[in-house]
Amino acid sequence: MKHIHNIRAVLLSLGVLLLGACSRAPAPAAQSQDSSPPAIRYEAHIAAGGQQPQGALPANPMAADAAKAQAGGQLFTAMNCDGCHGGGGSGWVGPSLADGRWRYGGSDPEIFDSIYYGRPKGMPAFGGRLGTDGVWTLVTYLKSLSPKEDVATESWVTH
Amino acid sequence: MRHIGLRPSLVVVATLLMGSSALASAQQSREGDWSMPGKDYGSTRFSALSQINSRNAGGLHPVWSFSTGVLGGHEGQPLVVDNTMYVVTPWPNVLYAFDLKQEGYPLRWKYRPPVSPNALGIACCDSVNRGASFVEGRIVYNLLDGHTVAIDAATGRQLWSTQVADLAAGETTPMAPLVTKDRVIVGASGGEFGIYGWIKGLDLKSGQVLWTARNVGPDADMLVRPGTFRPPYESGPDSGQHSWAGDSWKTGGGPVWGSVSYDPQLDLIYYGTGNPAPYNSEQRAGDNKWTSSVLARRPGDGSLVWAYQFTPHDSWDFDATGTMLLADIAIGGKPVKALVHFDKNGFAYTLDRATGRVLVAAPFANANWASSVDLNTGRPVVDASKQTGASKGNVKGICPSLEGGVSPASPPAYSPRTHLFYTSINNMCMDYAASPAAYVKGTPFIGANTPYTAGAGGQMGGFIAWDASTGRKVWEIKEPYPTWSGTLATAGDVVFYGTLDGWFKSVDARTGTILSKFKVGSGVVGNPISFLGPEGKQYVAVYAGIGGDWFLLSGDVRSDDPADVRPPADFLKDIARHTSQGGIVWIFGL
Repeated sequence: MKHIHNIRAVLLSLGVLLLGACSRAPAPAAQSQDSSPPAIRYEAHIAAGGQQPQGALPANPMAADAAKAQAGGQLFTAMNCDGCHGGGGSGWVGPSLADGRWRYGGSDPEIFDSIYYGRPKGMPAFGGRLGTDGVWTLVTYLKSLSPKEDVATESWVTH
Repeated sequence: MRHIGLRPSLVVVATLLMGSSALASAQQSREGDWSMPGKDYGSTRFSALSQINSRNAGGLHPVWSFSTGVLGGHEGQPLVVDNTMYVVTPWPNVLYAFDLKQEGYPLRWKYRPPVSPNALGIACCDSVNRGASFVEGRIVYNLLDGHTVAIDAATGRQLWSTQVADLAAGETTPMAPLVTKDRVIVGASGGEFGIYGWIKGLDLKSGQVLWTARNVGPDADMLVRPGTFRPPYESGPDSGQHSWAGDSWKTGGGPVWGSVSYDPQLDLIYYGTGNPAPYNSEQRAGDNKWTSSVLARRPGDGSLVWAYQFTPHDSWDFDATGTMLLADIAIGGKPVKALVHFDKNGFAYTLDRATGRVLVAAPFANANWASSVDLNTGRPVVDASKQTGASKGNVKGICPSLEGGVSPASPPAYSPRTHLFYTSINNMCMDYAASPAAYVKGTPFIGANTPYTAGAGGQMGGFIAWDASTGRKVWEIKEPYPTWSGTLATAGDVVFYGTLDGWFKSVDARTGTILSKFKVGSGVVGNPISFLGPEGKQYVAVYAGIGGDWFLLSGDVRSDDPADVRPPADFLKDIARHTSQGGIVWIFGL
């Protein structure tokens, strides 16, 4: 049963990291400076009249933190994200997360919402299982992936 | 026996003469119809029609096509009953009814069920549906989200809908139900989600669940009743529990995602169970009965009568959910009520379907995880160097790959004229690196990374004719790509299959010579059928629409979502050059 203990060790150490993070970074709701409703919006929506709806988008408290990105990579496997999105998020039955394209928006808070609350067509809500810190860790990992330059073209002919 | 243009009126008269007691066999006697997924309860996929034969099949050409309006792997097959063709699409599982008596085959009706899109995130392997059955004016099929429905064939209205599976537990329902005169038999997918696998018997008229039998676990859950269960090889009480370390059977998998066959004389249903969960087999020491097995049950109450495990302690995802083809054949000159099964593990088995005893077991595709099957014990002789598990790191060069010597989604066919069995095959091998998997309900429970390569010879697929009496390949067509379609056999001695790059082919059943081919617009992962049109002419129908595992593996065939752009698979770099996703019903004629 050595490997079950290893999972526990991984999760415990993640837990320590997450607890540590907790004391530095408050949860998203506490970040809004005023009483604006939380803004859950897709990057792609057209704003009627050009007027964006008001709301506070939480910032990623772990943005660009390399250690958190690495922890997020382990969490990506531990939470079985790779079971639907493929190893390294390259795509499987769920869409690719490594192509620089985002169905529901690619800013950190938009990716946060996708994981925390779930999305249509079968993306589960992981917020209840992971809490905000676990989800930000995954966001940080996903934003650390670098899609290849020319994702758009697939060619079978040589020039 | 000559079959020359059997006119539909003669078929009806013949049916009436056989009397009402032959209602069950009447399902099989209307040769111009195709009323259940495998043509008959034995799943032979053999049509007795012979207008199309090996001399004129070169003249086959498309006579009609219809776009289903749905992308996603078009597995399964149409039905034709009373001059109406029925088509079930992948999710969202629309049911179409085409009037074959009118030019252009316009719809009589279309049924658009309410079906949850959450199923798309729980179905491991694309939004496929494996088909419907037509029984007593009802069309019965599964929606992907765990509901079984019955639709009135005359009006297209829903008669009943029963929830049989729980999405939140990782269960979905792409399989085609088996429908007898009073039972609907259904099972759920979810071996990749650590489900507690099951099969259920519903009442045909009301849709009520009458019995639920687990495929793993204690005897009480498995419906092992005293004195009824007689497995062909030794096993003791609570075999589905004691063959698992600790409580690992509770998330042990054992899904039912293939078809169910039925022998009305023996009163047994036969079906295969899928892989044990998780893929990292070190988390579940033991044989893991009864995953990767064939089970025989009584359809009335679900009692388990016998079970045989093809791959004990499966460490390679060798689901046994492929067709259990029932045919009466001769072995060594003696008649045998046989069950023939091409397993994912690369071995083709001929069993005695009354007892479950293995009579013949031989590799039909490149297989090196085991050298043979011991006919005294029924157990494979496993090559220890091919054993996988988290402590073994990356085990290289295992054949067949995780896709199997053949996919269970690619059903074979049998011809009682040639006495040969016909099937698509894959020729691929894999490396297998297992890792510890954590069970989180509603998410995948896997723990393995398994890249593929082509098997010996370099071609990745094929189509073969097999002698199940001796365990011998008779002829083979090599294909560049894994071959994923089902098979149709006909009395004209023509067999049919389709390729992943979109060719629909007819083949001389005796020699393996290709007689015709046509590019059908998308890869073929479904199963061809044959039927008589209202004017008495024979036709062949098939779906085009690549998907199933290929939606996962060759995601570059996807075109419809600009936010999901994938590179080609390392081992299949040019499939997207020949096909993208699609959804077309084709009819071919002379």
